[in-house]
Amino acid sequence: MADVEYVDVWKQFASQASAAVQGLSLTIPDRELLVLLGPSGCGKTTALRMLAGLEEPDRGDIRIGGKSVVGLEPKDRDVALVFQSYALYPHLSAQDNIGYPLKVRHLSRAEQREKVSRVADMLGIGHLLPRRPAQLSGGEQQRVALARAIVREPRVFLMDEPLSNLDAKLRVHTRTELKTLQRELGTTMVFVTHDQAEAMSLANRIAVLNAGELQQIGTPDEVYDRPANVFVAEFIGSPPMNLLPASRHDDSLVVAGGWRIPAPALASAPNGEVTVGLRPEGISIEADGQTAEVVAVEPFGSEVIVDVLVGSQSLKIRAAPDVRPNPGSTVGIRADPAAVRLFDASTGLATH
Amino acid sequence: MTALAAGGEQVAARTTAPPAPRRARRAGPIEWLLVHSVFLVVCAFFLIPFLWLLSAAFDERASAYIQWPAAPTIMNFVRIFTEHDFARVLANSVFVAVATMVLVVFAVSLAGYSLSRLDLRHKDWITYAVLLLQTMPISATMVPIYGLARQLGLRNSYLGLILIHAAIELPFLIWLMKGFFDSIPRHLEEAAWLDGRSRVRALFEIVLPLARPGLGIAAGLAFLSAWAEVLMVVILIDQDNLKTVPLAFYEAMRTQGGYTEVQYGVIAAMAVVYLLPVMVVFFGARRLMIRGLMSSTRGL
Amino acid sequence: MAIGRRRRLARNGLYVAGLSPAAFLLALFFVGPALWALASSFTNRALVGIDAANPRFVGLDNYARLFGDPDFGRVILNSVIFVIGSAIIGQFVLGLALALLLDHAQRRGFLATNLVYASVLLAWVNPTIIAGFLWVAMFDFYNGSLNTGLHQLGLGPVDWLGKGPMLAVIIANIWRGTAFTMLIFLGALRTIPSDIYEAARVDGANAFRRFWDHTLPILRPIAALTLLSVTMATFGTFILIQTLTNGGPAFQTEVIALYAFHEAFQAHAVGYGSTIAVVMLALNLSFAIVFLRWSRARA
Repeated sequence: MADVEYVDVWKQFASQASAAVQGLSLTIPDRELLVLLGPSGCGKTTALRMLAGLEEPDRGDIRIGGKSVVGLEPKDRDVALVFQSYALYPHLSAQDNIGYPLKVRHLSRAEQREKVSRVADMLGIGHLLPRRPAQLSGGEQQRVALARAIVREPRVFLMDEPLSNLDAKLRVHTRTELKTLQRELGTTMVFVTHDQAEAMSLANRIAVLNAGELQQIGTPDEVYDRPANVFVAEFIGSPPMNLLPASRHDDSLVVAGGWRIPAPALASAPNGEVTVGLRPEGISIEADGQTAEVVAVEPFGSEVIVDVLVGSQSLKIRAAPDVRPNPGSTVGIRADPAAVRLFDASTGLATH
Repeated sequence: MTALAAGGEQVAARTTAPPAPRRARRAGPIEWLLVHSVFLVVCAFFLIPFLWLLSAAFDERASAYIQWPAAPTIMNFVRIFTEHDFARVLANSVFVAVATMVLVVFAVSLAGYSLSRLDLRHKDWITYAVLLLQTMPISATMVPIYGLARQLGLRNSYLGLILIHAAIELPFLIWLMKGFFDSIPRHLEEAAWLDGRSRVRALFEIVLPLARPGLGIAAGLAFLSAWAEVLMVVILIDQDNLKTVPLAFYEAMRTQGGYTEVQYGVIAAMAVVYLLPVMVVFFGARRLMIRGLMSSTRGL
Repeated sequence: MAIGRRRRLARNGLYVAGLSPAAFLLALFFVGPALWALASSFTNRALVGIDAANPRFVGLDNYARLFGDPDFGRVILNSVIFVIGSAIIGQFVLGLALALLLDHAQRRGFLATNLVYASVLLAWVNPTIIAGFLWVAMFDFYNGSLNTGLHQLGLGPVDWLGKGPMLAVIIANIWRGTAFTMLIFLGALRTIPSDIYEAARVDGANAFRRFWDHTLPILRPIAALTLLSVTMATFGTFILIQTLTNGGPAFQTEVIALYAFHEAFQAHAVGYGSTIAVVMLALNLSFAIVFLRWSRARA
């Protein structure tokens, strides 16, 4: 159990034009489950590998439990890593795979067997121990990889997209199990993924990265409700936040198509061009609202997503399951003033 | 840094990208030194004979040891054509190698295709037999082939030489081509049959073009093998005008023995010329050739 | 059902026809010679003299003479020594070592790897007769590169082909044949994903452990097959030894292929030579059957 710190970490690979990780600074308190979220190539895996010791930062420091680990071999850092591909040893049985870290530490055979069976029972794979990886399904392999990490009782768990090779149903199921497991074990965990839904469901806090830079760090609620910039606003949430170019005139925002939305009271941005952000659930369909043309209706059982066109601007609206306007018809829409978010039109940073 | 994401696509549309390439861990200086020292020794061992060859070929007073030629010259190369009738021997080799290659590619593509598409219960046995044949050492067949060729009157004829060459190369190359044809799905031909194409036309129009890399490998290997063939030539040819390059070498060395003086410069020049096609074919298509050669040893 | 079967046979007929040119060649020049050798081994056929015109059937006389002949015992011994020295100690071990080295160097990003790789391949790919020529020059007593090099170091010249012929041919054959095993092992090593080594690193294994616990066990199945494979391949070595020593001096490097050749063409006893050839083929066949059985078991 330990806290983790990245202090202004930079990493550039010779084969690439720009740095993979740029000035990353974040603190992960002990026992937290932090998710590193971002699109492919954003540097999240590199950041994780630097924590594991498989890569070294060019600049900056990485600390575990207050002590710098830069330059230390992975084995001296007391961290465990679950690879995206699981990286199970193909020539060893599941039992030997899980027990390998213990064998390297020269634990007695009896101790190895005892710890391995305890962890295997915890994950429900006790019956799979004599089998080889090739004889296991994807989900089973993933659990073996997990068991191998857990058996070491490390200070920090590192997970590199461990669920992305599982089929959708199994992924959702395992997600919840992982969250419960981490809470029970109480070990700090750093989890890398590109799936925002996964991040939202798992994380105590989410760190959003793009092109090597940290965009925002906060709880799922914070990141969802108050995205720090346009990138985060669009990356989090499905369907993503509607982003509308608008011009501000004192206390109202004029969006394309002449739609006026009352500007939030506390917004202090000057008049001029802004980008307005509205989550699909922040817009409602009302009889006396702004006219909009319905383009498509997507029923999802528990809700309906209505695609509309306001002038030349398309929007997605989240509505109750019984709201079924016909495509091509017109509806009225209204924005909830409390849901309005403002972003600077040129920098994309949130201003409200 | 602007964070205006392009497009505003659905987040769900982000597909899994290919995994990041595994970058090399930088090695410490000691490791670098150690590895490269071993490299030096290994390279020296494997390359010195060739370095000697090059040094001798361009040296009129070449000797058996490597030396920088006092007066580098191409006279040796000139001599082999003017004084030693190398052109004829070379031409013979070219003819035999090309003819063998053509015959082999023909027989092997047909056989490989047929074996691949054959629908027989004991098909495995045929493949098994082909593989067994492949392991036969040619040096063991020298004596009987001599006897057999003499009885059939195939000695001192290119017909006999080419046929026997081709036969030797068949087992491995049939197995290779079968593998290639196996990897071309049957539906492609079946679609062509449904469209009305005859079996033969479908083979030519659809299957063979797809098997091109395999055919290329087979042709290359067949050529190289025939080009280098010496055992059968020794057994079958003793007429001067029919000799191929390996035979010329063989005889040059037989008469010299290990201790008497050899015209190293001249023979080295011959060797360099003789090696050129090998370099071209093999190193030009290295990946293909190795793929082909290694198929013989990977899992059956 | 009947129509389907008939169509199947018809289709197969075409495929059988497709096999015929190759089958014809193989039968005539592969199977044919083997059978011819077998038949000849039971006669006293010769190249010249009465026995050339009218070979007599002699039953198992040739075999009896062969197995009773101490020369043959010497030949077998030479062949075994050659195979152990060249194939097992040389090519197999060196090929494995080179493969490990090159795989590691490549993962580290050393560019010189390609040069070393190409050098080893070059030695393998060039025609055997050239290899023989090159090493005749290398081993030359008065002027060969090896002795010249020794001279530079202040050591005396070695009579390679005269005093250490078996060592000489073994060295030359190792030079020639190492690429074969190296390629096989390299292929196997390259299939091991880097992930495994990284996982081992995180699990706490140092370089030696990673090699011992993971690299070697993964290589073990293919090592057995490779060993058998390279043994078979080395068994029939002929040209290289003939150009270097021609079996001598005094029978020291007379391996089985050379013995068959000499008996048939120098002593003119084709029947007897065939006997030796048959023994070679039989030995090879037994190895081959074991090899195929092992590799099928693996698959």
